[in-house]
Amino acid sequence: MISQFFVLSQRGDNIVFRDYRGEVQKGSTEIFFRKVKFWKEEGQDEAQAPPVFNVDGVNYFHVKVAGLLFVATTRVNISPSLVLELLQRIARVIKDYLGVLSEDSLRKNFVLVYELLDEVIDFGYVQSTSTEVLKSYIFNEPIAVDAARLPPLGPAAIFMQGSKRMPGTAVTKSVIANEPAGRKREEIFVDIIEKISVTFSSSGYILTSEIDGTIQMKSYLTGNPEIRVALNEELNIGRGSGSLYDYRSSTGSGAVILDDCNFHESVRLDSFDVDRTLSLVPPDGEFPVMNYRMTQEFKPPFRVNALIEEAGNLRAEVTIKIRAEFPSNITANTIVVQMPLPKYTTRATFELDRGAAGQTADFKEANKKLEWSLKKIVGGSEHTLRAKLTFLQETHGNITKESGPVSMTFIIPMHNASGLQVKYLQIAKKSSTYNPYRWVRYVTQANSYVARL
Amino acid sequence: MAPPAQSHRSPSPSQPSGKGEVSDLKSQLRQLAGSRAPGVDDSKRELFKKVISYMTIGIDVSSLFGEMVMCSATSDIVLKKMCYLYVGNYAKVNPDLALLTINFLQRDCKDQDPMIRGLALRSLCSLRVANLVEYLVGPLGSGLKDSNSYVRMVAVIGVLKLYHISSSTCMDADFPAILKHLMLNDPDTQVLANCLSALQEIWTAEASKSEEASRERDALLSKPVIYYLLNRIKEFSEWPQCLVLELVAKYVPSDSNEIFDIMNLLEDRLQHANGAVVLATIKVFLQLTLSMTDVHQQVYERIKAPLLTLVSSGSPEQSYAVLSHLHLLVMRAPVLFSSDYKHFYCQYNESFYVKKLKLEMLTVVANESNTYEIVTELCEYAANVDIPIARESIRAVGKIALQQYDVNAIVDRLLQFLEMEKDYVTAETLVLVKDLLRKYPQWSQDCIAVVGNISSKNVQEPKAKAALIWMLGEYSQDMQDAPYILESLAENWDDEHSPEVRLHLLTAVMKCFFKRPPETQKALGAALAAGLGDFHQDVHDRALFYYRLLQFNVSTAERVVNPPKQAVSVFADSQSSEIKDRIFDEFNSLSVVYQKIIVFQCSRSRPMTRTSS
Repeated sequence: MISQFFVLSQRGDNIVFRDYRGEVQKGSTEIFFRKVKFWKEEGQDEAQAPPVFNVDGVNYFHVKVAGLLFVATTRVNISPSLVLELLQRIARVIKDYLGVLSEDSLRKNFVLVYELLDEVIDFGYVQSTSTEVLKSYIFNEPIAVDAARLPPLGPAAIFMQGSKRMPGTAVTKSVIANEPAGRKREEIFVDIIEKISVTFSSSGYILTSEIDGTIQMKSYLTGNPEIRVALNEELNIGRGSGSLYDYRSSTGSGAVILDDCNFHESVRLDSFDVDRTLSLVPPDGEFPVMNYRMTQEFKPPFRVNALIEEAGNLRAEVTIKIRAEFPSNITANTIVVQMPLPKYTTRATFELDRGAAGQTADFKEANKKLEWSLKKIVGGSEHTLRAKLTFLQETHGNITKESGPVSMTFIIPMHNASGLQVKYLQIAKKSSTYNPYRWVRYVTQANSYVARL
Repeated sequence: MAPPAQSHRSPSPSQPSGKGEVSDLKSQLRQLAGSRAPGVDDSKRELFKKVISYMTIGIDVSSLFGEMVMCSATSDIVLKKMCYLYVGNYAKVNPDLALLTINFLQRDCKDQDPMIRGLALRSLCSLRVANLVEYLVGPLGSGLKDSNSYVRMVAVIGVLKLYHISSSTCMDADFPAILKHLMLNDPDTQVLANCLSALQEIWTAEASKSEEASRERDALLSKPVIYYLLNRIKEFSEWPQCLVLELVAKYVPSDSNEIFDIMNLLEDRLQHANGAVVLATIKVFLQLTLSMTDVHQQVYERIKAPLLTLVSSGSPEQSYAVLSHLHLLVMRAPVLFSSDYKHFYCQYNESFYVKKLKLEMLTVVANESNTYEIVTELCEYAANVDIPIARESIRAVGKIALQQYDVNAIVDRLLQFLEMEKDYVTAETLVLVKDLLRKYPQWSQDCIAVVGNISSKNVQEPKAKAALIWMLGEYSQDMQDAPYILESLAENWDDEHSPEVRLHLLTAVMKCFFKRPPETQKALGAALAAGLGDFHQDVHDRALFYYRLLQFNVSTAERVVNPPKQAVSVFADSQSSEIKDRIFDEFNSLSVVYQKIIVFQCSRSRPMTRTSS
């Protein structure tokens, strides 16, 4: 069980604080925040605190969500996974109720948040984290925060909120909010979100590649009808022993081969082995229906080539070329390419493509990094950045060992690299007039997308 | 609901807060307390919110206790909840005033609405005031029998709260027996789960006092209870599932059929999206099969994929917790993971603590078939701009070299590190080369050729400098300049701040002297003179010792200082296998993340003890 739960802002302010058992002394929030802020690791000046640590017999767990720190404390030797999952889940439940998770929305709705916290945990023991179940205990109404400050609900923008690793905010409306028109819009969102990790060798060969995917669902259907989600018929899930990388050899047939996957507890797999359909009664709120992992060979959306060459005594030239290898009707957005430069670099001048609208290149003096941002990249196109570097001192040894690797982040809406698809989404409700909105959306993101020099 | 009688009583006698806002709130609350005007609940809500927000940011609003209680006479459930929250927070420091709340809380415990009954009962039990426990027994007793599961759920935890305020009251009322009955009969799984949590805590605490309690605690692990819980496990939500699995992991089945039955029943739990459920299931599997080597190994194979999926889904924090457990398993059975090494490659955006775990896993899974690829990957990290990771990577390469028979290629790589001319790379590599030479003296020719080119001026870190000096002494016959380098180091004795380096320097000069006396004489003289004058006790003592030894007999001195050495076969492991086994037994706990054994403590202030590592 846990002793305390609290939420701190980035500056360390207490936004919500709940002591469940009274076993941990006061001041734990300050102790925690100081420790996280000034975390020291052997041989490092600045380091990131691990999610779990112990100070004077008190164990502190924390997760970062939407720029806030969700923290739990305990004195007992508990399962760390349990507490970290719980913290993540509390954040999600709060978001389900408030519509938007931010410091502002928490401050405006802290009474509602306390209401939730009282029902989620009692005397340190988890009671329920189901948005659905909690509904009957919640009486406060959410106060909406200024939605104008949030990006518009365009097809891609929706996916950009929240933390980088866990995207997929279906919509920013509370599960208990009353619609102005007095009636709820019947709709369901199914998002297929894939995070790609690829490492290219200096010769452009793919060293490792992996797709981590999630099928995320958020339902606003009244009466909780049963839903059937059909996936690709040719979908194999690697089971049994042996190296998972053995599957790499079997490509081309169009079959999607997942290494492994797991499912939300509401999912029934009765016919999954036969026809690859998942059936479930979606609970309220946002939740992952299925998580999956794939190391089967796939076509990386971008090819990245990077080169650094000495050009005279105190100079060098960098060339970075990226080629979009997805169909031309698809556009990637918010692309950022970064490359650490030799630490004795003093200046960098850039040469972009002709007519490079929406592109900027910058030399970040403080951490000696080159940063190239592109607003959009259309499928099939190619972009090149050339940079001339000036050094403070003569290079010695191998300049490629002093710089790189090149890393890249991007978002590609309506594209997925694994080929996993939702073939149809069936809502079991016996009425011919009942035709709710069904949104099935795909998005691909970079997780660790790296090209070595 | 009529306003309670105390609404006209004088305000609480507690200290004036001194804060304008608080006294302001006080008078506003008092105005509203007796009012029954329309819209008063809304104004109360606003005021209550202010009070709660002050409470959250740490302003002491306990002086408002009387007024808050006065205002709590309301049918508005939102107001009630805020009031309960406030009362729960401050009753402990205001025991006299807490008595004021008993009245309305007890009344609410009999409300028609089960929600109000539950909420009131929860607040009543959360007051944490010892002299009020007599008021708890009645409402708790009826709460446990309530027809509504929400009230029962609250009542069960209420019993545990009562136990913590006054264990004797709880035991005298025979509540644990009622909980046990509920646990085995209640249709609601959350009630059941709460009973289990409460009983575990109560019986564990009582076990030291009475034998009966200790029997009861063990009875929770008996076959009927375990089977009853397992048969209902699919009705439970994810959190109580963890609780049950935790218990099952401690159960000792009578035969292997039982083991397989349990494992088959729980097999699909490994596909759960909640990492805590999966880890708890894995613990059951690992514990049940400990004595069945083959099956145990199969379990490792079976859990690999789910663990890797959990590592790559979810937040970085969750994946760290799972990775720590994967790390433990890999360290225990590296052979079983040797073909999965690519999963342990670092991603550039991972944090230091994740990368560190991965580097350790890469180190232990390296074998004859994958070493080349692993070392190639590690060399990439060594050239990385992330200095701490670069250092760790070099150490990893060194460790792999020390555990391999065919070190040929690795030595070459290490020597290439020295050519990179980065100070920290050179420093780490020197330390490794020294260790390598102690294990594989046959490589000395190759290593010395490269090390000889390093200027001691470019090596600043004490450990690295000590390693370099050690090599100068040990291989002085092969390193042309050794006596002269040592000489210049000895002459600049005062520039050397680390006593460790000075100690090494003394020894190295001695060794060099035995091999090349004429050339080293000057260095020896300088070093001994400086050492005798050193302010550091150890350095001084060693210099004196060497001096006397030489005075006594040079060949004896050589036998003492530089005897023929045997190559080191195995470097001592930092952690004993006994500790590792104990950490394994505590799978799915903080011990795994900390990589230490944690002694469970119920008491409040004692720090965690740590066994030597």
